[in-house]
Order: sequence, then structure tokens, then C-alpha cells
Amino acid sequence: MAGTEKDKTRPPRRSLADRIREPEERAIEIPAGAARARSRRDFLLFGAGALAAAGGLWWLLPDDTKQQHLTTALRERVDSLQARLGATPERREKFLDRALTFDDDVAEALYSPTRTVRTYSRAQTTPLRNNYNGRTPGPGYLPGWNLQLAGLASGKNERLSIGDLLARFPRRDQVTRLCCVEGWSAVAWWGGFGFADFLKAYPPAPEARWAKIDSAVNLDGSGNPDPYYVSIDLDTARHPQSLLATHFSGKPLPLEHGAPLRLVVPMKLGLKNIKAITSIEYTDEEPPDYWAERGYSRYDGL
Amino acid sequence: MSAPAAQAPRTAAAKTAGAVRKVVPKHHALVRLSHWLNVPILLALIASGLSIYWASPVFTHAPAAGSNSREYLSDIGIWVARHAPVLVGKGNPAAWVYDRFGIGIFHLAQALRLHWLFAYLFMANGLLYAIGLAAGGGYRALLPRGSDPADALRMMRYYAGVIPAKVLRRPWPHPPLRSKYNALQRGAYFSMPVLGLLAVASGWAMHKPAQLPWLERLFVNYNGARIVHFAVMVIFAAFIIPHVVLVIADGWDTFRSMITGWSERIGGGHGRN
Repeated sequence: MAGTEKDKTRPPRRSLADRIREPEERAIEIPAGAARARSRRDFLLFGAGALAAAGGLWWLLPDDTKQQHLTTALRERVDSLQARLGATPERREKFLDRALTFDDDVAEALYSPTRTVRTYSRAQTTPLRNNYNGRTPGPGYLPGWNLQLAGLASGKNERLSIGDLLARFPRRDQVTRLCCVEGWSAVAWWGGFGFADFLKAYPPAPEARWAKIDSAVNLDGSGNPDPYYVSIDLDTARHPQSLLATHFSGKPLPLEHGAPLRLVVPMKLGLKNIKAITSIEYTDEEPPDYWAERGYSRYDGL
Repeated sequence: MSAPAAQAPRTAAAKTAGAVRKVVPKHHALVRLSHWLNVPILLALIASGLSIYWASPVFTHAPAAGSNSREYLSDIGIWVARHAPVLVGKGNPAAWVYDRFGIGIFHLAQALRLHWLFAYLFMANGLLYAIGLAAGGGYRALLPRGSDPADALRMMRYYAGVIPAKVLRRPWPHPPLRSKYNALQRGAYFSMPVLGLLAVASGWAMHKPAQLPWLERLFVNYNGARIVHFAVMVIFAAFIIPHVVLVIADGWDTFRSMITGWSERIGGGHGRN
């Protein structure tokens, strides 16, 4: 079109307003047979899609919820039909685990060792719930408490008292937010020493990529021993805001917040912030994690 | 509107080949696909989202006398139990909303896994929708325009009068429409993708507040993002009701146009009958 006489009098390009103006609707003609065939194809696809969506959603529901929505006989019929088509409960769990792993991979990709989380002033702290189902252990374990270390570069296992730790590492204060997987959050003032400093003082074996952190003194809701354990990748452990906390609100950690030593990793969900640590072991392979074994994420990056 | 004169020869040619149907293309195939995919995706997101919300509600109030409820969604169940006990049955009325509309009580881990799965599907589906709008040019019918406020008022007046006019057997013509949607439809259909973006943004703000702090700040704080996310869900749910009612009222042609992509209503927008 360019170069003709007419073009010189017209603007060479359509304006933005012209381009986004809604065109008038124009009827087109298609052979009736073709229209019927296309219509039939689209409705069949629609029906098949609706059936697949309903079946897929039903498959993904937890088993005891299914019980609520259909009678036993009908439920069993649907479930056995689905199982024959390959949609078994085992496959469901595997599929949902894969979705969780995908989300964990996204979280890990977003993580930056240099990005720090927001810090607050001490006046901005909010009440911190002790939301764990388990009971708070009694003070009985405190006098004999020490931190056991394994998987070190030295090849030796260490046993450190709280006095050793407080004397050796300078205390640092940090006001950060703890976000629970349930959705609540609280701003708390922590004091302790950097996990990174601790890793420098007691370097892990060179191949180690993980820390398995345990609390042997943890109790369940009925007060029975229920050891708690979390997996922490060493990248997170080395983050400048990862703290082995000894103090809460300026005072030594109270029992309900994990005396005498707990983990504070504000770039992870609250459930990784293990209380009353009794041992740390560095491992090459990803260690087990209490809540990951119960269907939650294993990375828990915020 | 009749077929333009330029198409007359083609019409004649087609007639000799057999019967033809005159149709107006309405929705691009990807727009139709993403529209219907939203149904199971939003259903799963709302159900799993309610179960997640239930683990730690934001909209709490002082314990109510008599029921001990501290939370507005529980109040709905208690209210229903009081007025329509058949619906609630023997279950705990305070948990009725979450038991019936969530994925079941005490399923936080399951709800989280479902929510992440469908959240990624929702984002992928949003992308499909955007591609479909761009490819089919459908976005041009959605963009707000200067005449919208006045047209919206006319449409409201029309809708308010439809039933009285039927009762009084008086003619009540639909305001003339030169575009695909009337101003009210355009407002609603333009808001949906905007709300979808808001749902995704507030979701990420809550999901990764440490890595995306700027996004969290956009919603003031963590709880701000939770409140926006919940409000968007309520608006989505509230949109569905008039959306479905109006499609039923408007008739088969409108419903079919979202499946086959075409309408046989030549020269008129929606809302003719």
C-alpha cells in the first residue's frame, strides 16, 4: 500500500483507538451440514469434559469427605468404576504429592540467599501463640540438656552445653514474623546467634547439603513423647537471618517457646522453626521431616 | 442487520451447494475452553480455600452468646441450623459451611495440596484466556468506554422494568445495542479477569511474603492479602448466580455460543428476549 498518491493524504498507521475499537458483528455463512457437524463435535467435547471434570474432582476428594456426600452403595460403585479406569487413591496421593513438589521447586527457585525478610521494631511485636497440639515439656530436661552435633567435617561428634554456646557466639536480636501454615502470623523479638556463624565454627562434612534437626523432648497432645524433627537445606541455614535462638522478648527462651535453643528461620513456615533442639546432624541426603510425612510440603519456603 | 451486499454472490453460490446457516462468530475457541475450565478450577479452589481458611479464620468476632461462635462463616451454619434444620442434620452447625462447602474438616494438608494444584491450573487457564482474547480480538468488546455509565443506567432501568412490564402486558423494548455486550455485561466481564489477577496477586503475596515482599506491601500486610483473597472469592461466587440466571433467561443461543462459538441471532447482542 505504501507509496501511492492516496496514502500521502491518509495517516500511514491506524491510531490505537481505531485498533481497539470493537468491530461491528458480521454474520458469516457456513454450509448447514458443516455447522451441524461442528456443533455436534463441540457438544460432545463439552459433555466429555464435564464428565471428566466431575470424575476428576471426585477422585481428588479425601475419602472420609466422600462419605459425607454420597450413600455408601453409590460411593463404592463410583469409586470402583474410577479404580477400574486407573484413578485409584494411591495414584491420587502421588499426583497431589507431585503438585506439592512442583510448588516446592517454585519456592526454591524464588529463594535468594541475599534477600532478607522484613524486620520490625520491638514495639511492633504481637502476641505469639503457642499453637502446637503437643504439650509443653516440663523443665525436667533443662539441667541435663546439651546439643549433640553429628555429620561434621572433623568426623567427630560434638556435645555442647548452653553455656558453651552462649559464651562462644555473640548474641544478635531480630524482630521478624512467624507465619504458620494454618494462616495466622505473629511478629516476635528473638535473640540468638547466626546459624551461619555456627556452621563456620562447626563445619559440616563437605558433601553435606542438609541439616536434620531434632527435638527429642517434644510431647504429643496427651503428654507422651513425640520426637519432632525437621529438614533444613543448608542454603537456608546459611541465610543471614537464620537464627539459633536463645532469647525471646529479651529474656531467655521460655519453655513454651522452646527453651533453651530453638530454630528461627523467618523465610520458612512456622513449622520449620523447631523448638527445644536436642541434636543437629548434617546429611548428604534429604532427611525426614515430621510434617512432610503428614502430607505437608518439605521445603515450606515463604 | 442483513448480510452486506458484497457477500451476496457468495450466498448465491452457497445456495446452489446446499442449505447454509448464517451465524455470528462470538467467542474464540480458547476463550470458550478457558471459560469452561474455570468451572471445576474455581470449584476446587473455593472448596479447598474454605478448608484452609477454616484452619485459622480472619473474620472473627467476640464469642457470641449461646453458640460460642467466634467467626462469621460459622454463624452462617448456626443460622441455617436454626431456620432450616433439615439442611444441617445431625452435624455440628458451626462447622456446617466448612464441612459441606469445603473439602472436609481437618484436611489442611490435603486442602493445601489441592489449592496449589488448582492455583497453578488457574494461572495457566488465565494465560489461555488471554491468548484467546488476543487471537480472536475479543478483548475489544470488553474494554470500558465513555458511554458505559449512561448505558449502564439505561440497562438497570430496563432490567428493573422487565417483570412489571410482563405483568402489565406492556411493551418493554430492550435498549438498542450496537456492540457485543451491554454496558452492565461489559463491566462484569471486564471485572472478571481483573479480579482473577487480583486473586493471583494476593495469593502469591500470602504464599511467598518473604521472597515477594513488594507484593505483600501492595496489600498493606499479610492479613490484608488474606482479606483481599477472601473478598475476591466472595465476588467470584456472587458473580456466578446472576451470570447463570441471565444466561438461562437469555436462552439457548447464548449458552450454545459459549460451546460452539457462534450465535444465530443476527444483528443483535444479548438480552433480546
